Amino acid sequence: MRRGRAIACATAFEILGEPLVLLVLVGSVALAALAPALHYHQFGEPSRMARDAGLSALLIGGAVIAFSGTLRTFRRELESGTAQVALALSVSRRAFFLWKCLGCATACGAFAVTVSLVSLTVVRGAEIGGAIAAEHGDVARLWGPSLALAVSAAVAPLLAAAALNRFARFRFVVTSNALSAAVALCGAAYRFDASLAARLLPAMALAAMPSLFILSATAAFAVRFKSNAAASLVALVAAAALPALGNYCLSDALADGASIPWSYFAMASLALVPAVAAALAAGVAFINERDLQ
Amino acid sequence: MNDDAVVSLEGVTKRFRDFWLRPIVAAVDGLDLTVRRGEVFGLLGPNGSGKSTTIKMILGLLAPTSGKVRLFGLSPRTVAARARLGYLPELSYLHPFLTARETIMYYAGLCNLDRACAASRTRELLAMVKLEDVASRPVGGFSKGMARRVALASALVGRPELLVLDEPTSGLDPVSTKEVKTLVKALARSGMTVLMTSHLLADAEDVCDRVMILNRGKSVAEGRVADLGESLEDFFLAKVGNVDEFVLADFLS
Repeated sequence: MRRGRAIACATAFEILGEPLVLLVLVGSVALAALAPALHYHQFGEPSRMARDAGLSALLIGGAVIAFSGTLRTFRRELESGTAQVALALSVSRRAFFLWKCLGCATACGAFAVTVSLVSLTVVRGAEIGGAIAAEHGDVARLWGPSLALAVSAAVAPLLAAAALNRFARFRFVVTSNALSAAVALCGAAYRFDASLAARLLPAMALAAMPSLFILSATAAFAVRFKSNAAASLVALVAAAALPALGNYCLSDALADGASIPWSYFAMASLALVPAVAAALAAGVAFINERDLQ
Repeated sequence: MNDDAVVSLEGVTKRFRDFWLRPIVAAVDGLDLTVRRGEVFGLLGPNGSGKSTTIKMILGLLAPTSGKVRLFGLSPRTVAARARLGYLPELSYLHPFLTARETIMYYAGLCNLDRACAASRTRELLAMVKLEDVASRPVGGFSKGMARRVALASALVGRPELLVLDEPTSGLDPVSTKEVKTLVKALARSGMTVLMTSHLLADAEDVCDRVMILNRGKSVAEGRVADLGESLEDFFLAKVGNVDEFVLADFLS
């Protein structure tokens, strides 16, 4: 367990320390936080824009982090030789592969939790804002708080992390990610609404699910092929799997206070679990048979 | 197998193949080798002679094409066999984003040490390799010599019974080289078995009890350093081939 924890923690730490991850996280948080500013485009429901922006950020940002983070960490380990040193010690190849995948999933999970919390706060804010606008007929007054929220959620963690890096030598990227999560948590706790959370969190979990498959497929290909070939294969698999997302119209299912049907969860899990298991099994087979030079 | 043998290779051959599985080169060819408990064994040879390939087969990183490799009497692919060794690779493979302290703690985790034990062992090793002052700096910014010292500390963190050193003095200045040699001798005195590769004959002559000379994947000589009767360099050149001074002179002129 200690061996696995060491591998998973180092992997998550490495991925969360990548500038691209911070860029995607800040972009996703800004996208979700700025959505309520677009009150002139409500699409029939005050919080719809905010909700859809959050779900899109989760799906696309999660896929980007799962792919790039996993590919980079596995290829770096194998090409720089750190995997060889770990596997020369008392770590089995299977355990090494699976614990590294868990580390990648932890990093993707941290991203998904942060963006979900920001989205919850923003959707709640948009609902409250919508009610005020309906009462007073003035949506312009909502721009100020919306922009303030966007700035505090996206920019304040960066400034604080820069200060901590300058004066206390904290790692900038990792600290930024942690502070973004902390701000998101504070925001969600301040405007927490249990019924909204119960309605949106399953949909957010569904939006984050494709990242798990992308992560496991990327890990499997990364231990067998070089970066470019692995990336091409992941793209092929993703292109084949992409039409399946048409079965899950989360935006429509959530419209006008509705919840997503449980059949969505059952269908998604039925598709995800065997696909992830097959990718992980292929990854274990690939790492077991390869020579580590 | 001899009970005293920590590492044994019997008729081991390693052929590397290309993408179409055509053999490219036999890096190791029919090698027999035994490393006994408590000795410092040197695997010597010119570049490309198969030293690192042999080491990687002993560590279970490469599968031999034929022959048998045993580590503590077990297959090196088993975790139980590898749990008793420490490994310093030829190049210092370190996670650049971890600090020196975090690197040693990471390897302590891989050796299954609990947190308190790992922390005290890390402090001890940082002091031993004289890196306490830079323990909080990421190793990605370290010089080659400093990275080598972190890698050496990481190899020792689990108190291994067998220490495998691949070119341990590579990239070190003369003072650090002497320190490493003194450390290897001290570890051997404490009962640790050491298997090292080197193409620096003075290093091997200073620390090894027994040596094997490899050339083109084959063993060309094996014996105790004390029994050679001549300097290791003369013995090595006689076995591996001398430098053609006339060709060099022609080239330089």
